[in-house]
Amino acid sequence: MRAMSVVDAPTPRAPFVALSTLWLVLTGTLCNLRCTHCLNTSGPDAPWLPPLDGAVARRAIAEAAALGVREIYFTGGEPFLHREILPLLETSLAIAATTVLTNGTVLTDATADALAALARASRYSLEIRVSLDAPDAETNDRVRGAGTWRRAVRAIRALDARGLLPIVTATEIDGAPDAYDRFRALLSGLGIARPRVKILPVFPVGRAAGDSAARLSDADLEGFDRTALQCADTRAVAAGGVYACPILAGLPGARLSDGDLTAARRPAALYHAACLTCHRTGATCRNA
Amino acid sequence: MPERVSEYRRIAVLGGVYANAEALAAVLADARRRNAEAVFCLGDLGGFGPDPAGVLPLLRAHDVRVVRGNYDDAIATGATDCNCGYTDPRDNHYARLSYAYTVAHTPAADRAWLATLPAQRRVQLGSHRILMCHGSPRRINEFLWESTTPDGLLRRLLADYSADVLLCTHTGLKWHRALDDGIAHAVNVGAVGRPENDGTPRVWYALLGAEPDVRVQFVPVTYDHESVARAIEAEGLPREFAETLRSGWWTTCLENLPAKERARGRF
Repeated sequence: MRAMSVVDAPTPRAPFVALSTLWLVLTGTLCNLRCTHCLNTSGPDAPWLPPLDGAVARRAIAEAAALGVREIYFTGGEPFLHREILPLLETSLAIAATTVLTNGTVLTDATADALAALARASRYSLEIRVSLDAPDAETNDRVRGAGTWRRAVRAIRALDARGLLPIVTATEIDGAPDAYDRFRALLSGLGIARPRVKILPVFPVGRAAGDSAARLSDADLEGFDRTALQCADTRAVAAGGVYACPILAGLPGARLSDGDLTAARRPAALYHAACLTCHRTGATCRNA
Repeated sequence: MPERVSEYRRIAVLGGVYANAEALAAVLADARRRNAEAVFCLGDLGGFGPDPAGVLPLLRAHDVRVVRGNYDDAIATGATDCNCGYTDPRDNHYARLSYAYTVAHTPAADRAWLATLPAQRRVQLGSHRILMCHGSPRRINEFLWESTTPDGLLRRLLADYSADVLLCTHTGLKWHRALDDGIAHAVNVGAVGRPENDGTPRVWYALLGAEPDVRVQFVPVTYDHESVARAIEAEGLPREFAETLRSGWWTTCLENLPAKERARGRF
């Protein structure tokens, strides 16, 4: 009942239209890194949000398929720390385009080979998003940890060499207007013919949570098409339930059901400061 | 009163004219030669090309029935951008130039006509119920790429919208998928205004027939792409657009392409 107090009457809601995008928070908040802006405070210590059981993930994929899902995303934490990641990707790619969000630092050549084989075997696209928060090692490593730039770049090259066309995904840590161009220059310099870059805003949640009390109101949303918000067609499955979106997975105010996607097809409360960021920036956690 | 639905045995369906009247004229002539009973256009008449004003007269002259695209919607309503959903500043730069040019060169009467276009059309092809839309039946600017459109989604859309065959465009890349032993179909008809990122300047449209099962044929069409490329340059539109028409490779607005489709292109 405590959760109800933060989603009470004045909180605006987003309607639920259809399940287009399923997110699986596969490793919960278990990660080998401890990035300073991590939106769910992932790290190598005992995770506050535990990894998903493989059977739960498979059940969610099957349920999503029956509901006509369009795309499936694997995130964490670091998804490649989950021992069932490859068979789960195979299951997912049998029914829909699938994306993995990774920091790239634990990706071995053998895993890259396996991913390339999975991509070739599926009619649907397999996308690997590798996080890199700056085109230069020094700035990146200040945020993501020592040596992470070098290891992520190695992963980007390994994936590209296998035809997987990774999407470098950055968080807008300094708001530089030429960030896309600088990342593209980095990738071109690595010999990557089809550079792909996605830049997301910093969300005020997890390690980047501020103390702002600003929240979305119905007045903010007047004349705005609420069905354009991610939570109108997205659900995230994490240990313990189904949530409105991947940013808020694990938080009680965003919990919509105990694990049943069908039951989670209902309006989501726009109660969090991150909802304000989502609305203001028009950001999408999807690839495009 | 139930909607009156026209019946056909053989239709031509095209999409993505992108202000390339030269290519449209070649496609319409080809469709006539192939005895299409009717021609349908799934929208996006402007953008990219040099001749927004040349498109509507051709559509009228050939009695083409048109579905509204997101670009048409934006032009008709005076929106500030094309609602293509780009986030990369480079793609947005090209999209803005293209949109401003299209707005400036679309006659006011054409804009008013665009506002009257339906978001969907239904026809009967033999015994098959055809639903035509621009992006998807549920959202005008949803990209139905071949590699990101699951069978399960197609089945759901066909069931939700009471159709046997779904026709769309918006991505600029053609594909066809038969479902459930050919009982149901989804067809993205591709685009006639821009080559399909395959290294050749040809463009594509679709012929559909009821024989009595649904038969889908994609038809390549060549046209005087060099004259259109020169017109793009003469109009001060980006050289990259002209390069695309000449080479057949997409040079801009690549960010929405999924991995499989992106891997087929040069850039």
